[in-house]
Amino acid sequence: MAKALDVIKKKRAEAVGKIISKGYLSTKRVYVGMATCEIAAGSEEVMEVFRDAVKQKGLTDVYLSQKGCAGRCNLEPTVEVIEQGKNPVRYGQVDKQKAAEIIERHIKNGEVIEEWVID
Amino acid sequence: MDDKISIKINGKKYKVAGDQTIMHAADACGYHIPRLCYHPELSIEGACRVCIVQVEGVKNYVASCCYPVADGMKIHTNTAEIRRARRDIVELLLDNHPEDCHTCERDGNCELQRLAYAMGIRHRHFEGVKKHYEKDLSSPSVIRDPNKCILCGRCVRICSEIQGINALGQAFRGFETIVMPAYNKPFAESVCSTCGQCINVCPTAAFTEKNYTQELFEKLNDTDIIKIAQVAPSVRAAIGEAFELPPGRNMQGELAASLRKLGFNYVFDTQFSADLTIMEEASEFLERLQSGGKLPMITSCSSAWMKCMEQFHPDLIENVSTCKSPMSMGGAMIKTYFADKIGIDPKKILSVAVMCCTAKKYEAARPELQVNGMAATDIVITTREAAWMIKSAGLDFVNMKPEEFDAPLALSSGAGTIFGVTGGVMEAAIRTAYELFTGETLLDIEIESIRGFEGLKEGKLTMDGKEIRVAVAHGLGNAHKVLDTVRKEPDRYHFIEIMGCPGGCIGGGGQPYAGSNSVPLDKKALAARAQALYTSDRQKTIRRSHENPEIQRLYREFLGRPLSEKAHELLHTHYAPKKPVGITTKNKKAVIGK
Amino acid sequence: MAYEYAITICDGTGCIQKGVRNLRQALDDELAKHQLTDKVKINLSGCLGMCDKGPVIVVNPGYTIYGNLVKDDITEIVTEHLIKGNPIARLAIQEDFMYNRFFRVFGDAKFFGKQMRIALRNCGIIDPDSIDDYLALRGYEALAKVLTDMTPADVVEEVKKSGLRGRGGAGFPTGLKWDFTAKQQANEKFVICNADEGDPGAFMDRSAIEGDPHTVLEGMIIGGYAIGAKKGMIYIRAEYPLAIKRLEKAIKQARANGLLGNNILETDFNFDIEIRLGAGAFVCGEETALIRSIEGRRGMPRPRPPYPSVSGLFGKPTLINNVETWANIPVVIMDGAEWFKTIGTEKSKGTKVFALAGKVVNTGLIEVPMGTTLRQIVYDIGGGIPNGKQFKAVQTGGPSGGCLPADYLDTPVDYESLAKAGSIMGSGGMIVIDEDSCMVDIAKFFLEFTQNESCGKCTPCREGTRRMFEILTRITEGKGKAGDIENLQRLGNMIIKSSLCGLGQSAPNPVLSTIKNFREEYEEHIHNKKCRAGVCANLISYTITDKCIGCGACKRVCPTNAITGSAKNKHTINQDKCVKCGMCFETCKFDAITKL
Repeated sequence: MAKALDVIKKKRAEAVGKIISKGYLSTKRVYVGMATCEIAAGSEEVMEVFRDAVKQKGLTDVYLSQKGCAGRCNLEPTVEVIEQGKNPVRYGQVDKQKAAEIIERHIKNGEVIEEWVID
Repeated sequence: MDDKISIKINGKKYKVAGDQTIMHAADACGYHIPRLCYHPELSIEGACRVCIVQVEGVKNYVASCCYPVADGMKIHTNTAEIRRARRDIVELLLDNHPEDCHTCERDGNCELQRLAYAMGIRHRHFEGVKKHYEKDLSSPSVIRDPNKCILCGRCVRICSEIQGINALGQAFRGFETIVMPAYNKPFAESVCSTCGQCINVCPTAAFTEKNYTQELFEKLNDTDIIKIAQVAPSVRAAIGEAFELPPGRNMQGELAASLRKLGFNYVFDTQFSADLTIMEEASEFLERLQSGGKLPMITSCSSAWMKCMEQFHPDLIENVSTCKSPMSMGGAMIKTYFADKIGIDPKKILSVAVMCCTAKKYEAARPELQVNGMAATDIVITTREAAWMIKSAGLDFVNMKPEEFDAPLALSSGAGTIFGVTGGVMEAAIRTAYELFTGETLLDIEIESIRGFEGLKEGKLTMDGKEIRVAVAHGLGNAHKVLDTVRKEPDRYHFIEIMGCPGGCIGGGGQPYAGSNSVPLDKKALAARAQALYTSDRQKTIRRSHENPEIQRLYREFLGRPLSEKAHELLHTHYAPKKPVGITTKNKKAVIGK
Repeated sequence: MAYEYAITICDGTGCIQKGVRNLRQALDDELAKHQLTDKVKINLSGCLGMCDKGPVIVVNPGYTIYGNLVKDDITEIVTEHLIKGNPIARLAIQEDFMYNRFFRVFGDAKFFGKQMRIALRNCGIIDPDSIDDYLALRGYEALAKVLTDMTPADVVEEVKKSGLRGRGGAGFPTGLKWDFTAKQQANEKFVICNADEGDPGAFMDRSAIEGDPHTVLEGMIIGGYAIGAKKGMIYIRAEYPLAIKRLEKAIKQARANGLLGNNILETDFNFDIEIRLGAGAFVCGEETALIRSIEGRRGMPRPRPPYPSVSGLFGKPTLINNVETWANIPVVIMDGAEWFKTIGTEKSKGTKVFALAGKVVNTGLIEVPMGTTLRQIVYDIGGGIPNGKQFKAVQTGGPSGGCLPADYLDTPVDYESLAKAGSIMGSGGMIVIDEDSCMVDIAKFFLEFTQNESCGKCTPCREGTRRMFEILTRITEGKGKAGDIENLQRLGNMIIKSSLCGLGQSAPNPVLSTIKNFREEYEEHIHNKKCRAGVCANLISYTITDKCIGCGACKRVCPTNAITGSAKNKHTINQDKCVKCGMCFETCKFDAITKL
């Protein structure tokens, strides 16, 4: 009988494989907060902008995912952009317009939009 | 080695059994801790917090009704601090209670009143708003007054734990909490069996019977009508308690005399009609037995059980005896046989039943029990109401010179007497059925296996080589159990007695309230009442219903024979499934009667 | 300002003792020397949980942890790592902790500096809908470890040793609870997760489940293994639809992956989890009420003993823990009890999640090591009071907690210290109150909640809290009278000591603690008919001062025409007509209206 620890290691390897196959190793990873509180603050709309950009508007080399609440109630919805080898950037109180701008300026052109960054 | 442990109560050392609560241990040591929601026959609620005590090393007060003793425990029941807390708790109950003691049904025997007195509440600290609800007067038997409810939950518990009816439950939260039937529908539309046990256990007047005493007093003054009373067996065994006599005194003669003094023209004995019931019921049983009728046959004299059966067990309707209860048979005889005899228009007769029971008020109103378009019983009063009327009329009940009941509905056998206690109907039926079946007289007539307060009793006897298996259940919770057995093993029993109340009629919902040194439905009081009836049985020379000469005369002169057409018309009835609010459909096939 | 590196310096007690503050100075000097000060952001963190390897600093991006540092190492880190971009293998600690995963992502943000994330370690990091994300971060490894290397008794022992205490409020030692339940002989046992979060303003459990549902499942499966249960139930309120959806999904995924159901991880251990929805009664967070509710009965507490560990769900031994407690379990197992008990204070180990709300700059969900002071939470993490207002009190423990004034700001948060200060840990609500709040009104607010949510079973809670609420209402309406404070205290103390369950036993806390700490406000209300915060409408009046220039703005907005006056002349307010709506006060541009 396989030891449970061996089984879980195998499962983990498979899981990592699956995540990678979904594009985790893209240059940029974008996370949109999608807990109840974030959704209430409007994060579904924000997510839609990003999804649309990836699916319809041909944005490539971006791994898009939802995430739970990081605890920044007053700054929600939050969006996180993580680039390999750089410090992650988090934007607070993102709405549809801001999301579109983040795509244009940050994701496409690499410009961190300082005034929206959460410290 | 004994398993006793050492505890200290108020600084004094005691050795007590270890497997009990602080309350019980303190009781055993002579400290009666005040209590309210606690009842020995019900589950522990721990709700009222009146029974709190201090235990050294425990930060908060503990409710002694549910907290177990432990070796070395140091308990304080009477410190200034705990007395004040208890007093404040009782004050909080009073603050949300109508202060109408003078006009309250329970004035003088209210547990809250006693408690308030014992706590020494002389000032109020926390008065504020009081709850206000409408009284529910819809039920023919039980009045619900949520204003007086202190939410001890005894009614809810007895209705579910002992009676298995679950007609009552708490609803809403906090200060708005209220005990109500499902969806707060009128009580009359609920599954309530009208057994009145909620009244018995209620510490206040949140549940009371529907009171007919004023109406009756008025009618007793009406000289244009003939006023006739009949008295159930267990009323005489209990009514003394309402006059502070110890339980178990048979007050039959005092009762007959008092009722006459109240203005009744005739006072009959329901024990006579109990004998009549046995004649019909035993005959019906034998007919079923001999002609392959539906068995087991189930008795039908308890009206709470009838309502319960129609609601919860309609699939077994055909098993239930078609015999009316003794009260309704008695009423029917009063308005036919007796009216004929004295040559009076039965419409001019007021037929009053003095019962240990609240459900009889409901039974009296059942349309199918009418005789020639008239109610067989016009008014039903409970033992409590009768006692009150006697007191109110200034009668010296305790020192009353005993009198006899009036012929021809007076003479009863010992069998009719024991109707009032669980197992009695079965025992009475066996005494007669045996003889009718075998032609021989049953000599060993005290059937011990079906006596006593076990919830479910079984017995068997052999009649002409045939084994007859019987069961006896009292309290509707036990009825549910025995019927589940019947569904699983239809051949297990031939004959079943079911009584709606714990202990049978002696524990009826209309019996006197517990006195200040007792608890409602006290086992010892019930046993004493039962003993009163068994003693009366034993003292009689006629102990079998069919030997009652007045019964024999009734058949000879009027009814013909048991199960005759006339007997069917006047002494038998029928049932129909009922589906009041709060019934959940189980997967039981309801057999609708013809 | 874009910076290239973020360095987190562990400013916990252990590292301070080992001289981390000297390193900080050295780092500042070194950075200045290389003109890097603007490019490197320095954060101080609370204890990072690596005390034995202190002093510790973390360099991001890359999440390189340097430990056992001496002053000279700093020079090397700056020149080699920060300037040349080569992490120094010799100094790096290779640890794969379960806790504090957020540092890999969030190590640079001040908000997280004093935090330590154990229960919430994956929240805001992973996709909660993806079991792959969870598995990738060593998810279910604790379960595998337990099933491979540990007997049920070992697991109970480990939890006991960790010093973990119930996070639902009362702080009962979790290991003991596990032990009691494990020792019961029964043909059936149950594990329950209490996710009936009912405190107003609390959302710890919801966020934890929404952000990382699998950790709760993993904790419960481990609990089931430890006590010998085959069935788990999660009791969650129906008002949490997203959390329920995520849990349902997680359960489905776990079953599909052989982590729930029969033969978990190919062993002969079977365990499954069901979700039960609560209708939202606050009292159903009390364990015996919760159990009754699952059984289909009215959610009312019953007296204990017997405790659920002996007779719980359907009369069977039942292990019931709160969401946060369950979420701690995988970490206790993986990082070990020995490590876990280094976090926190003597009697309160690990971390605690708080929902920080009220008058504070950064409202949010935080997790801090036990022993973090209220001051650190309110000011370092919460960012202090907004709009330059004065701090007045912090209320901990939800509606049954107490209000602690500024004198108590240095109270460390742990079960004993908070209790000693007159409040409770509770499930983790934390509300900051500023000078604009009336303490009598605050107490009334909480009591209104608890007396509404009382189940109605026991007399002290049902009747007593209502009377307290009535007295408080009277006081805030200016109808208070002598003796009211004493009656509140008398009732409050009696209710605490007499009530059947924790709800009643703590309901008077907000009142008693505000009387203790802000008695003068009560007295002002009662005797001077004055509310210093200007909250209690009946106790304030608006008057127009000489600053009035007669512009008429107030007159125009007054809904009851209580203000009269001709143009360019001072206006006046007819007090009989004034309904104290405050419109004039808000409207006046010349500060000519006073509120007293």
